[in-house]
Amino acid sequence: MSHVDTEAGGSFVRSYLLTGGRTRSDAGDIAIEAMVAATDGSEMPRDIDLAKIYQLCAEPNSIAEISAKCSLPLGVARVLVADLWGAGTLEILETTRSDDIAIVRRLLDGIRKR
Amino acid sequence: MAFESDNKPRPVSAKVVISGGFGVGKTTFVSAVSEIAPLRTEAKMTSAAAGVDDNQLVQTKTSTTVAMDFGKITVDEGLVLYVFGTPGQDRFGFMWNDITAGALGALVLVDTRRLDECFNAIDFFESRDVPFIIGLNQFDGAPQHDPEDIREALDLDPSVPIIRTDARTSDLALDTLVQLLSHILESLSAAASKEAAPVHHVPDDREAPVVTDGMRTAAMSALAAERTG
Repeated sequence: MSHVDTEAGGSFVRSYLLTGGRTRSDAGDIAIEAMVAATDGSEMPRDIDLAKIYQLCAEPNSIAEISAKCSLPLGVARVLVADLWGAGTLEILETTRSDDIAIVRRLLDGIRKR
Repeated sequence: MAFESDNKPRPVSAKVVISGGFGVGKTTFVSAVSEIAPLRTEAKMTSAAAGVDDNQLVQTKTSTTVAMDFGKITVDEGLVLYVFGTPGQDRFGFMWNDITAGALGALVLVDTRRLDECFNAIDFFESRDVPFIIGLNQFDGAPQHDPEDIREALDLDPSVPIIRTDARTSDLALDTLVQLLSHILESLSAAASKEAAPVHHVPDDREAPVVTDGMRTAAMSALAAERTG
């Protein structure tokens, strides 16, 4: 299991996942398609909006989905997710690079089968 | 409540963009390919309005809500593709950056009766080197044009595929998505082989594509004049 990002030394991995390798770390850098998941062992936040996001993230959901399903403007959803990520409650999963040939092949194979 | 799952799925996500003018069928297309009912997310844009700072008469700031629809395809347990439609009412707006940043590529939907509606999208993707294809969306009663006539009218590079699609039909829409991904793969492969084997540029026999922005620019100026006039 790779739960490095829940360990104390995981901040590098977290930053990488958050920013896709870029160094800025404000909420605006979280891609709208980036999936977010509740961190293992984390507790539900008390705040009602945050709790809603947290419950939704029992399954990975993208920032855009969180915004739509919680009826929050995109920018707000981003900031709240960034806060929860900062607190270690949520983790942000990896997004693909736009030049990842292997991923495009996988998408092509997968969608051709439909 | 705490989640203690040992084998939680940790999918990687990717995205493609569905673009084109107002009413061209973007949301219909998203709906046709998505495994979930399309979702809508909104962003508020605040802009300073002209006028004096009189709190009784004039609002000094106006807030515009920009909405975008998107769908989702779970390709396998570790890979999810999001399909984002660009907001029709937000021509060059900030949401375009959010939507296109990191996107693999884009489909520009075209209504052949209103070709000018797609100029903005084409310019945007060309200027950012985002691979894109043109999908001529079928509308009942719309004339069928030769794709090469469309290419000429849009000043498109010969490498940009132009295909017919029907956003109302899942099979055709999914096939269009496959063609987009194939084009993205070709673009990436071409870029990779160029990097791997740097050779002197050898001009081939084909005539170099003449891409002039004149026509699109003129048409856009006309559009802009229309909007402000």
